[in-house]
Amino acid sequence: MATADSSSTALRRRDLCSRGIRLAGKMRTDVVNLLDAYVEQQGLDASASVAAVEGVPLAAVERWDEQTGTQRLLENLAAYRAFRALLAQMLEEQREQLGEADAGLGRALAAVLLQVSAFAYHLEELLRLESRGIPVEEGDGLPPPPRLSLFEQKLRGLGVLRELSQWATRSVRDLRQLAKPSPATDLAESP
Amino acid sequence: IQNLKCVTHDLHKMLCTWEISSGRRHGQTDFCYTTNDLNPQVCFKTKERRVEIPIPESSITVTIKSSGTAFATKEFVIHQKDVSFVPVTPHILSLVPDFPTSTLNLKWSDNGSLFPYGLDALWQIQILRKEAMEVVTQVTYYSKLAHEDIILSWNWTSDMPLECTSHYVKIRCYVNATNFVGPKDWSDWSPSKVIPGKDTEPGESGVFPLDPVVAVGSDLTFCCVHEEDQRITNMTYGSKSYTMMKLSSRSHAIRVLNASVSNTSGTNVVCRLENGLEGSVVFVGYAPDIPQNLSCETSNFLLIKCTWKPGRPSGLYGERRTKYSLFERTSGKNVSCEVSEVNRDHVCGFPVLPDQKTYDFILGVSNPIGQAQSSLLVDITQRVRPRTPEKLTIVGNNSTSIQLRWFINGSFADTRLLCQTEISSSHSDRRLHNVSMPGRKSSTYTAQLNALHPDTKYQFRVRCSAADHFWRWSDWSRGVEQKTSEAPPA
Repeated sequence: MATADSSSTALRRRDLCSRGIRLAGKMRTDVVNLLDAYVEQQGLDASASVAAVEGVPLAAVERWDEQTGTQRLLENLAAYRAFRALLAQMLEEQREQLGEADAGLGRALAAVLLQVSAFAYHLEELLRLESRGIPVEEGDGLPPPPRLSLFEQKLRGLGVLRELSQWATRSVRDLRQLAKPSPATDLAESP
Repeated sequence: IQNLKCVTHDLHKMLCTWEISSGRRHGQTDFCYTTNDLNPQVCFKTKERRVEIPIPESSITVTIKSSGTAFATKEFVIHQKDVSFVPVTPHILSLVPDFPTSTLNLKWSDNGSLFPYGLDALWQIQILRKEAMEVVTQVTYYSKLAHEDIILSWNWTSDMPLECTSHYVKIRCYVNATNFVGPKDWSDWSPSKVIPGKDTEPGESGVFPLDPVVAVGSDLTFCCVHEEDQRITNMTYGSKSYTMMKLSSRSHAIRVLNASVSNTSGTNVVCRLENGLEGSVVFVGYAPDIPQNLSCETSNFLLIKCTWKPGRPSGLYGERRTKYSLFERTSGKNVSCEVSEVNRDHVCGFPVLPDQKTYDFILGVSNPIGQAQSSLLVDITQRVRPRTPEKLTIVGNNSTSIQLRWFINGSFADTRLLCQTEISSSHSDRRLHNVSMPGRKSSTYTAQLNALHPDTKYQFRVRCSAADHFWRWSDWSRGVEQKTSEAPPA
């Protein structure tokens, strides 16, 4: 029965991966559009250099191709959980600062937040498929982030959306890697 | 012994100083004075070349005998006109900054107890700034001395945030001693007090003011405080770069004149440094206009609905938006109004209070730039506009008359209602039929329409208002259609 199980798991994984790829692709498009709208609405300079956003793992990773499948999933999950919290905070700040003005940007932000949440859930599905434990979310108990000035909030938002668009690109590549039936995708024992 | 000079600081005593040629400087001096022939001479020894003695009413004769290597005696006659009056140097008691408003509050004592009652005093206050301590402004302040020490207070609002660079204040005074005949002069400047800028604090950086809200048309100064070793590239306001003024080695400023309204997310003030960005977001908007056409009515004697025209939009949103509150003076009750910034209808609800007919409303409007208010005194029984009549139905019908019934939500037990039925048909012109009736609480009402044509299709709709003190009609109900029956055979 083992062979039957492993082949159905592989089929299930490929299905989850291909749906995940589509979700990440759509998210990337929406994030890029949101980024453009955000830059204009916030009066920012699109080329402004922004420091790395605290709490977000960088999409760029060394020796990407040597990563195991589990590492890919766990890193993706950590990133999208962080983005979920940051986007929720951005949405809160948006409502606080703008109220009902520019509701369009608020709606676009909420839509991306929804996609990020859905994608995080999708990653948890993939981890469950591989009977990997889902890491506990670290959010609770962490001290609230320091209150930033409005300009710092704008820059952080810019940094978050930029990094999110990088991650969406990386996630497509990660999931394609996972979908391949090759040894590299074997989900190694978790350390 | 020469150059005897006397100065008074308080119009009571004077300080006299003199010079002695080099050979006699280290010995002891006998100093004697007498104000006039009747008083005995007063003498004392001193090693100083200064003595404090009373001011003469008219003149005083002074004899100075210096011992040293050889005796020398000199006599002087000092008249009041020879004595110069230089008030005692004032001292600043406190200099308190209020950073949000960029205001300095200065307090000092006028030393009035030293001087006779009623003298006029002038105070010159100097504000200096920057590392080079450039004079920003010098102001003259007037006060009257009252023979007691009074603490004077003065405010000054800077045209630039106090954080930008250190501000220094010093003060001096002139007392117009009208009865004093000698020359009068300004006191010395007081020691200066300083309010250090952020550019003196290690590790401090940023753009100031931080996230301000200002009125359209304001002239603004923004500064960028940075580390000493950080080279500043430029400072922009919105998309425009401005010429920078150097305040200190760690602080540069730009001046923006006649600021225009900012967009919803504010105007960014960005300071580009060699390796980083500092910034602030400024919100430029309007103070609220006085609300126009404030009007209040009730549709059900449960809730009073007030509407008004807000005037020019403030351009401020979110937590800086214009907020409204409705205060009723008689009951003291205050209601904050949930008003949408975006859509244009401004409405606020206030509960009808038991046993209260007259309402003395004040609509308060405020945002971070200013506030305004409108008031309205209204007898709510004269401001009844019933809800739209509902469930209009035909309940009786023959060839020449029809009976209508409808429902109105609201408690009108104490109100007489006037309801108007519109009767239209293709054969005749539109006709209006009025009927008044006692109001009831959330009840149905009927009306009998006569003199109709047999076998004719009619359309009916109804609206109501208060019969006594008409204010406004409700909206028309939904229409109903009915055909009268044929006339019975003659």
